[in-house]
Amino acid sequence: MLRELAPQVLGALVRRHGQFDACEDAVQEALLAASQQWRDKSFPEDPRSWLMTVASRRLVDEWRSEGARRRREETAARIEVPGGAAAADHDDTLALLYLCCHPSLSVASQLALTLRAVGGLSTAEIANAFLVPEATMAQRISRAKESIRSAGARFELPSAAEQAERLRVVLHALYLVFNEGYLTSSGPALNRTDLTAEAIRLTRMLHALLPAEGEVAGLLALMLLTEARRPARTLADGSLVPLDEQRRDLWDRAQISEGIALLTRTLGTTSVGPYQMQAAIAAVHDEAPTAAATDWPQILALYDVLERVSPGPVVTLNRAVALAMVHGPGAGLALLGSLDEDPRMSRNHRLEAVRGHLLELAGDQPAAREAYLRAARMSASIPEQRYLVLRAARLA
Amino acid sequence: MKYMIMTFGSAEAGLAAMGKEWMLEMIQFMNKLDEDLKKSGELVSGEGLADGSQAKTVRFENGISVATDGPFAESKESLVGYWIVDVENEDRAIAIASRIVDFVKVPIEVRRVMDAPPDF
Repeated sequence: MLRELAPQVLGALVRRHGQFDACEDAVQEALLAASQQWRDKSFPEDPRSWLMTVASRRLVDEWRSEGARRRREETAARIEVPGGAAAADHDDTLALLYLCCHPSLSVASQLALTLRAVGGLSTAEIANAFLVPEATMAQRISRAKESIRSAGARFELPSAAEQAERLRVVLHALYLVFNEGYLTSSGPALNRTDLTAEAIRLTRMLHALLPAEGEVAGLLALMLLTEARRPARTLADGSLVPLDEQRRDLWDRAQISEGIALLTRTLGTTSVGPYQMQAAIAAVHDEAPTAAATDWPQILALYDVLERVSPGPVVTLNRAVALAMVHGPGAGLALLGSLDEDPRMSRNHRLEAVRGHLLELAGDQPAAREAYLRAARMSASIPEQRYLVLRAARLA
Repeated sequence: MKYMIMTFGSAEAGLAAMGKEWMLEMIQFMNKLDEDLKKSGELVSGEGLADGSQAKTVRFENGISVATDGPFAESKESLVGYWIVDVENEDRAIAIASRIVDFVKVPIEVRRVMDAPPDF
């Protein structure tokens, strides 16, 4: 609730004062004050006005100090705000997202700044989520703001010509936030801020702002259809359970239904993009009552489309699995062979992990074992490395 | 992605090989490096370790663990300090290590921390 108001309040403040940096700090302080006071006392009648008032007061306090005044003169108007009629909250929120995912920022900075300015998370929460000290994250956020200033980024919606590319960057940032949360949601990092939920919340918000953008809907569907499997992905000890061995009764049916409904509404209404295709593939897996009942020919057909829309070695790798399930492991292994010379895959453990899987299906146990062990050496994830080593050990 | 950047050797060996002036410069250099990594929002942690001669090694001998004096590795190969940095990619971790190597002129090891997400 509180976090949902963060981008609206920040947008309105930036529109009024034109200082993203100072306004963002002020909103952050207002959110902190709200989280303390609203808990103790009653909830204000108009939380948005309350936050606006407190944040504005913080800004004024900041400007009153002599040093800050000088700083204000230096930074004033560096973020240009187009004049004219007051934009609606939804335009402000969108403009903020585009600003936080400005292409001049490193990806790590985009994620941090988006979570703080649009997500309303505190620096401590973001630091905790990414397992870095709070001071490191604070520095990263303040440098991100500096980069935005020096790049001359504007608080406005990109031009129609730019929009598609800028939206792609925003979606990629949200996708990475989701991945970071989804994939590290087990194991030793149990009390991390739930980045997965945060990514879904922000993507849901973006989808409400841009309902006609097929890729936004596609990304939201992909997140829901993937997140639905989370309860079955790991055992209590943190060890990974591959898709074909997961207990499907643990999958979240509500998330699956929502993801499929979203996808059904979207597919065919706009041009097809990679997130929609990945979501469609996830949906086929989620709809199968058992691993054996998986509609692999359909998955293969979807990978064929995905490879046309968004070619790349990772897509080829996944397609090889589908190909093996439809036409036998030999066909999949042959396709994997085409990736052996690809420098983008030369140190990627996934190529060897998939090769191990397909060799195992083909009955070549010694070669499968070697491939799993090569994959284990290249993995940079402890649960995955353990899984691969145990997989190899099973074939000994 | 996080990387551990590891330095080996000992202060004594450094002094013997490079001299006092260099040691003073090295202290300045390390302080500056720490400061820069903090400023860039990349430093996760970093520590120097006591001299390898002060280490104990615990071994399994005759069915029981036994602590003995001295480092496991040769003292010239013994770990003396490390940084953990959270960087955009491996190239950036190597660039940080190269900056150190350009100064200390001895090899430095750069190794990925197992912080990657698993694949499914």
